Amino acid sequence: MSHSHTDTQITLTIDGKRAQVAAGATILDAAESVGVRIPTLCYLKKISPTGACRICVVEVAGADKTMTACNTRAVDGMEITTQSEKLSAIRRQVVELLLVNHPLDCPVCDAGGECDLQDVCYSQDVTSQPFAAEDVNAPTIDHWPLIQQVPNRCILCEKCVKVCYEVIGSGALSVNEKGDRAFIDKDLAKCEFCGNCVQVCPTGTMISKPFKFKARPWELRKTASVCTLCPAHCQVSYESKHGKVLRVTSADGVTINDGNLCVGGFFGHGYLNSDRRLTAPLLDGQPASWEAALGRVASELARIRDEAGGQALAGLAAGHLTNEEGSLFQKLFRVALGSSNLDSPMRFGLLRAVKTLRTQLGLTTASAPLETIGRAGAILVFGCDPTSEAPAVDWQVQLAHRKRDTKLVVADPRRIKLAGQAEIFLQYRPGSEVQLAGALAKLIVAKGQADLAWLGQFVGNQADLLAYLDGIDLAAACAASGVDQALLEEAADHLGSAASVAVIFGHAVTQAAGAEDSVAALINLALVSGALQQHGGIFPVGEQGNAFGLLTAGVCADFLPGFEPAAAGADAAGILAGIENGTIKALYLAGCNPLLEFPENRRWKAALAKLQLLVVQDVLESELTALAGVVLPGAAGAEKSGSLTALDGRVSPLAKAVDPPGEARADLAILADLFAALSGKPAPSEAALRSELAGQQQPSTPTSSRLQGAAPAVIAPPAAELRLLIGKCPFHFGAATCFSPANLELAPGGAILVNPADAARLGVADGGLLKVTGPAGTASGKALLTNKVPAGLLTASPNFADLNIQQIMPGGGNCVAVTAVKG
Amino acid sequence: MADVVFSSWGGKVVDNRQGGEPQPAVFKLPENYLDEGRIGAFMGWDGLIIYDREVDVVAMAAEYMKRVQEKYCCAKCTPGKRGTRVMMDTLARIVAGQGQEADLDTLAGLADLLENCKCTLCMTAARPVLDSVKHFRGDYLAFIRGERQVKAAKAYHEKLTAPCTDRCPAHIDIPAYVEEIKDYRFEEALDTIRRNMPIAAVCGRVCPHPCEKSCRRALVDEPISIMVLKRVPSDHEWMHHLQPPMKPKAPTGKKVIVVGAGPAGLTCAYYMALEGHQVKIIDMLSEPGGTVAVGIPDYRMPRHLLQREADIVAALGVEIQYGVKLGRDVTLAQLKEQYDAVFLGTGAFKSKPMGVEGEDQGYEGFSTGGIHYLRAVALGEPIKTPKRVVVVGGGNTAIDCVRVALREGAEESILLYRRTRKEMPAEPYEVDDAEEEGVKFVFLALPTKLITENNKIVGIEVQKMELGEPDASGRRSPQPVPGSEYILPCDLVIPAIGQDPDLDYLDQGEYGIKKTRWNSIVTHGGTMMTDNEGVFAGGDCEYGAMTVVLAVGHGRRAARVMHRYLTEGKAYLNEEDAMEDIINGLGAFDKNEKVGLKGGLHREHQPKVHGAERIANYEEIELAMPESQAVREAERCLRCYRVGMLAVNG
Repeated sequence: MSHSHTDTQITLTIDGKRAQVAAGATILDAAESVGVRIPTLCYLKKISPTGACRICVVEVAGADKTMTACNTRAVDGMEITTQSEKLSAIRRQVVELLLVNHPLDCPVCDAGGECDLQDVCYSQDVTSQPFAAEDVNAPTIDHWPLIQQVPNRCILCEKCVKVCYEVIGSGALSVNEKGDRAFIDKDLAKCEFCGNCVQVCPTGTMISKPFKFKARPWELRKTASVCTLCPAHCQVSYESKHGKVLRVTSADGVTINDGNLCVGGFFGHGYLNSDRRLTAPLLDGQPASWEAALGRVASELARIRDEAGGQALAGLAAGHLTNEEGSLFQKLFRVALGSSNLDSPMRFGLLRAVKTLRTQLGLTTASAPLETIGRAGAILVFGCDPTSEAPAVDWQVQLAHRKRDTKLVVADPRRIKLAGQAEIFLQYRPGSEVQLAGALAKLIVAKGQADLAWLGQFVGNQADLLAYLDGIDLAAACAASGVDQALLEEAADHLGSAASVAVIFGHAVTQAAGAEDSVAALINLALVSGALQQHGGIFPVGEQGNAFGLLTAGVCADFLPGFEPAAAGADAAGILAGIENGTIKALYLAGCNPLLEFPENRRWKAALAKLQLLVVQDVLESELTALAGVVLPGAAGAEKSGSLTALDGRVSPLAKAVDPPGEARADLAILADLFAALSGKPAPSEAALRSELAGQQQPSTPTSSRLQGAAPAVIAPPAAELRLLIGKCPFHFGAATCFSPANLELAPGGAILVNPADAARLGVADGGLLKVTGPAGTASGKALLTNKVPAGLLTASPNFADLNIQQIMPGGGNCVAVTAVKG
Repeated sequence: MADVVFSSWGGKVVDNRQGGEPQPAVFKLPENYLDEGRIGAFMGWDGLIIYDREVDVVAMAAEYMKRVQEKYCCAKCTPGKRGTRVMMDTLARIVAGQGQEADLDTLAGLADLLENCKCTLCMTAARPVLDSVKHFRGDYLAFIRGERQVKAAKAYHEKLTAPCTDRCPAHIDIPAYVEEIKDYRFEEALDTIRRNMPIAAVCGRVCPHPCEKSCRRALVDEPISIMVLKRVPSDHEWMHHLQPPMKPKAPTGKKVIVVGAGPAGLTCAYYMALEGHQVKIIDMLSEPGGTVAVGIPDYRMPRHLLQREADIVAALGVEIQYGVKLGRDVTLAQLKEQYDAVFLGTGAFKSKPMGVEGEDQGYEGFSTGGIHYLRAVALGEPIKTPKRVVVVGGGNTAIDCVRVALREGAEESILLYRRTRKEMPAEPYEVDDAEEEGVKFVFLALPTKLITENNKIVGIEVQKMELGEPDASGRRSPQPVPGSEYILPCDLVIPAIGQDPDLDYLDQGEYGIKKTRWNSIVTHGGTMMTDNEGVFAGGDCEYGAMTVVLAVGHGRRAARVMHRYLTEGKAYLNEEDAMEDIINGLGAFDKNEKVGLKGGLHREHQPKVHGAERIANYEEIELAMPESQAVREAERCLRCYRVGMLAVNG
């Protein structure tokens, strides 16, 4: 194909310096390569060049006119001049025009001190205003949630418009109107409230309302760290003043997320400053000293251990724990207390995927770094809404699909954002995952698009795999999934003919009944489509911020750290049964809330009352903290050190930006005190724990012929008129953001997404109350009418305590037949 | 034509204000604007043209700049957005008597600065203003001193255009969709194209793209690949299974019949349906597309995509009935009676005779014409292509015939043309493609006689030619070389030298519809209405065999006028139509312009299936251009927008 120029080099001179660059590079790129700085204003590397501000004009020998460096491709032999009186005069006049009617509110402008317009005025020596025009004086837009737009300050660089469209893939922003009346407008229905428009705005036009007037930029203390809200672990800078995190930013070019943030990363930190943070230990609901609280925990745990043995104790952890904290938590149980009754919410999701990945591929995380997605030839997003579950995955998909000709196939029961962008959208019925993935794999092999030589070399049971795929009934798969066969064949062709494939799967797969089988079917598909060959990858998207880290650390009944098989203790279901039958008498919950995160949580609530000791170590109030005998206030991600493991196995260090509130302590310190008290030995240090974990780091690339295909069982989903699927709300990440006012402004509580056809049948209006009853109970919440869900399917997000949708779910599933009534 | 009082057009100053012997200056502008009045002046990208010395140049400049800033300036670059605003306000102050002499320097300085704009819209808009300041300084000073009051023209009419847009018979806003592609906004690009052209999949493949002949980028290096960039968003919609977003307006209750589902008919039906009219198409063939379907082979224009375009038109509520031929199954009188308006888009399906001895004898092995041969193959009719085929002609149909004959099993496929390769009207890349596939060419050869045995063709007598002086078309005309006749043995001769409309249906009644001497339908003043009120015509039947894009342009214009005819009872051109035609007459491209930019970038080419691989079948040869490549190509566009405005005096 002729569209790659990058293999040829061209030479040009810039201010007399010789520059050699790849063909396709711009004059600006070439200048940068030889250290010549051309002033810019509207230029932003991660978006397509706009050429709006004209400040980067240069003179090109042989051209009468100036040309803009940012969007003019360099040509062999060009002679460029970047500084001259003529150029200075143009640049100065352009800035003078930018300043026509620009408000003089710099002292109270949010961008004051970090305004590119101020900087360029200064650098271009703009000190007067020769031009005059009537002031259009467009009113400030204040009705958007969370973001304020001040058109008077806008220089129409379009950075926000382009980041929104090209990088985030939302396309909410646009330039309206003509001439001087033009400003940036927004289609609110498309906005993801990621805040990237605010981040890239060179002036104070796009403003974060939660941050407005909180601090001057130079007052903020910046701490480079990692966002803990989803398993992608974007690099961030926590910016704090007087011990409070006031905003979160990220820098382009130097972070793995290239400066992009999502609604969680940008706005979600509000929970850190919530007045419902736990700030002091509680004993039976009353504030107590750490000594008293830890003393009670240690003595009670020791008493029960001594009376009933370690098996009478259980621990569940999740959420905000670091790798080191996870490691110490399981040591506390396994070493100090002699109990293997350990588990986490990953039991109902990610762990099942990881077990299958480990069995068939020897993997416990993704098979390749996240950036691999951005360079794949084709991407399959299966049972996953990256926009909600791990936005950084979405950005990689956007990059690949929009800018690099990558084919995108989306298979999901819901019409998610990516479905509207994909070449092919396979809207399947939940429960048909095994058949659908199997049919795709079968088609790839049948069309001769599978690399049989590679399969023969790397897949131990290649013959069995091919025989299994050969036996798949396409017609039955189409009937079960509700997907048109022609569309399925086209999808298979995209995956089969691509040079490299990324297979991404998420919550709708991992949380479903039969997840092990679905993941096995997806692994088969990954094997035959070449996703496990060079430049491809398989990417499980986990549910919790540090899900991969905690599993690797051994917070799990069946695995020791490093996924060494363990003498099995009770898992979550076993712990519940144990509490119910009285064999488990003490439960330690570290950042884990079964009353919200676990299915069948009405049973959990009843069971908790039977415990002799309930310890809750967390950062925010909940229904649990009211029930707990002892509450230990821990520290959130921005308030401690440690490390986290991302979905692609990347380990990132956290840095402490602020102190935990009140008397709250880093979780590692709490656990260390208890470990010492209960084992009689000092707890290992954070550094020691980290190096121990480093030795247990799992391979992230399958290397041997131990890869295995599988013959997964077909799940038979119950026929039902109406079903409910758990599906994450895009504006929240776990329980934490339910304490962030910004995120609550976007989604104040739990809602049940209903197709308008179902809503009409049920007689429920948008915003009306809907009562759904499933096998384990009844929940009621507001109906949200949307075509994103098909008729016959409801979805609801699991993180809202008010709705608590998990209460209707039986153990081990994410989709059940329900009855719904207006209520 | 009125005498020019003053002109700075194209940088050439003609000033007859002081009287004396008038210096000549001729521009292709009409004397009148519709029936509104005389054109007093024109102001645009290349300067000022003044016919009437009563025109208030200062007021006109102020109005021009106001319209540029408020109606057209895209606001996407700083000098454009703010510079034209400052100019507009400065001019407004001057005409209000509140100006200062220093304002004239500001205007001149800004005009210079605007040469650094992102595109040519505001840049070229500043030029006539600068010319007016330079050459009508006295008038400005009179305003500044408060000695003059504004004397506005009776009316001003303006139009945004670009050289490519102007040259395109469908007047697509080419810079807009190219920029949308540059911005990765493929769906918006298709919306833009569909404002003027409903069949982007077709014109993105087989358009002769006259627009590219008026591309200013060609003056810098190579023209933008405008045609292929039109295909890209159409491929995008198709390959992403996207539903086209168009929704028709509320029903008007008016019924329209369109005769012919070719490019003209589909286009007319599309725009009429969007206006809310109830439209039915009848077509004599069994599938949509007309000449595009049965005259252009699938390897150039896959018919499933043509069908998709027709399905999109049908999805707007248009009924399409196939197998109905005007004149055979229904008369024009019957249609007139049953419908409120008729559009004739019946094409040109009659093959021109070669003027060769024996061609009317019905010999076995003599095709009735290239268009019929292609149609028979396309429709799967039982015709057999023998071993040696000779096609006579040099146009696209001839090329299609020789290439199709190869695919139909001919061992030798020979094209006979009376001039040389250079003069062939066929697209050069298609001639190259044919050669690559193994077609043989015999140039400078004129068929003179069919050679037969037992009423069966066995050869064709050919006379050699040589090129003489250029004829009216500018091509050197071929002259026979006496005594050079020889016989070319063959089993099939296909004449492909042109088509004429078949208008027999007009002779079935007293319709009063005039025909040209080329046997095409006469319509009036750009309205596309015939002499029979309510009957419109467009495409090949109106112009004679021409291009798909001209047919689209006709279909659209006819629909616009027909809509007015149906809703207002009058068929007339509005400002947009009239200005479109006036600027088209003037021309918006100057092939001698010094653009002043440094080029050196090559145009991008879409990937292609090569030689032997492709003659085995009718699979499409030109493959979809990868979107990243399309974006790179779009980045080369200079966005040559320009606004022309005329002043009408009473």
